Amino acid sequence: MPTAPKTHSQLFLNGLLNENPIFRLALSMCPAVGLSTTVINGLLLGVAVLFVQVFSSCTISLIKNFIHPRIRIPTYTLTIATWVTVIDLVLAAYVPVAYKAMGIFVRLIVAFAIITMRLEVFACKHDLAASFWDGMGMGVGFLFGMTTLGAIREMLGMGSFLGYDVLGFRPLLFFVLPAAGFFTVGFMMAIFNYVETISRRRKRGGRNA
Amino acid sequence: MVQAEAFFGGCTMKEIFKITIALTIACLIAGGVMGGVFIATAKAKKRNDHLNTQQTLIGLLGYSSPRPAPSDLKLHTIYRYTIEEDAGTHSGYMMPVMAGGKAEYELLIVDLEGKWVSRHRLGLRSEKAMDEQDRKDAITHVLGPGPTVSYADTVTIAGMDAKRRAYVIPGKFPGYKNAIHVMVALNPDFSILGLEITAHEEDPGLGGEIEKEYFKNQFKGKAFENIKHLSVSKAPLAEEHKRFLETKEWGKRALSEGELASLGKKYQDEDIHAISGATISSNAVANGVKRLVRNFAHRMALLDRVIRENHVEAVF
Repeated sequence: MPTAPKTHSQLFLNGLLNENPIFRLALSMCPAVGLSTTVINGLLLGVAVLFVQVFSSCTISLIKNFIHPRIRIPTYTLTIATWVTVIDLVLAAYVPVAYKAMGIFVRLIVAFAIITMRLEVFACKHDLAASFWDGMGMGVGFLFGMTTLGAIREMLGMGSFLGYDVLGFRPLLFFVLPAAGFFTVGFMMAIFNYVETISRRRKRGGRNA
Repeated sequence: MVQAEAFFGGCTMKEIFKITIALTIACLIAGGVMGGVFIATAKAKKRNDHLNTQQTLIGLLGYSSPRPAPSDLKLHTIYRYTIEEDAGTHSGYMMPVMAGGKAEYELLIVDLEGKWVSRHRLGLRSEKAMDEQDRKDAITHVLGPGPTVSYADTVTIAGMDAKRRAYVIPGKFPGYKNAIHVMVALNPDFSILGLEITAHEEDPGLGGEIEKEYFKNQFKGKAFENIKHLSVSKAPLAEEHKRFLETKEWGKRALSEGELASLGKKYQDEDIHAISGATISSNAVANGVKRLVRNFAHRMALLDRVIRENHVEAVF
């Protein structure tokens, strides 16, 4: 992996495409498979993860010099849990409408592998700005992945989009079941790999010519 | 010494000490942040809960955004307390009473057979009575520290033109897994005006169906005599009956007023139809509502008699 310093936009795009949490890193697959049955579910969980990821990345990047190396993982978990609780409480108090829809998702996030992994790999070694953009990239990448999965599964499983009936019939009811989540993730991974292979070949071809 | 070192992964005692302290500090900071946010948001959360309850309440009375509640609809709240003293267990009703042209809360203490015990002025206005701590303080102030006072429930009486229109009572009873919380609206003759499931933890798709219109609306319109002997049948719900119950879901293609009235009459005396695959949850709700309404009707009759006999000028 290249370790050369990257610009902020590169960091952002890295999370969105090259290292997309769901389609390239295959992390946090439980929520990706279990909760991406509709677009709105995917969107809400994605937004919640985005917030927790960005806040946790920034916090860890700020306090990285004070963390004892032997207890860094417990400290990450504590940080994530604190942010999850804070977001949960603030949503419940000031945005009750959003809390009604997102409440159950927010509490799940403590256990997400992607957040801990980003703190360990990136935030504890980089400054605040870089960590922020990395967190943004990963969060938006997760959001993008969840929404895409949700859209595919809702369209194929229930024939609707965002709850509105589009097709008028249910093409493949199987797609709302958890097992279909794996199929959808697999297909999306294949597409990502295919696009990557092609773009790499083009680059090489361009260099030769 | 060598063994100990292997056990702690090569840490010296000093290192272990350092880790312990670091971890403790991290936990304390995290706990402090969470606690601080909890305290800061507690008030707003309480207000939201109150608004939520109020909204459910208005909805149960049959009003919604296209059909808002009339402005002369008044909601009076009665808080019930259980008071245990040496003389025995009494019920304390904290309710608004007219005093010099203004409504003020008074505490009416009645024993379990409905006999008059005592009456205390609390001097609380209704806005102030909304806070549970303020209510409790006021009661302790008039009764002294002796008796044990515990909160039982809150009943809302909706009135219009000095006449009672409906009661809204909260309740909770065990479901398939955890408690099911409900709110029931009753007409003045104790027939059911509406049922709302406010919180439950039944299995989604099975017991969770209790919050669906086709189940909870079955209770609507049941007469008090009917509720006393309410039972659950496993017979399937007729298509026509289901359509009658799902008023919100059908929306535009709703049945006409006449059709609704005739269907309502036709199915009014039927048993509650159980949800298939969730007999326990269906039974729990039916029996819970039955007990809730029966107990409330009994208590309300006692309270009404006491109010009448002792000339308490209650606002409702």
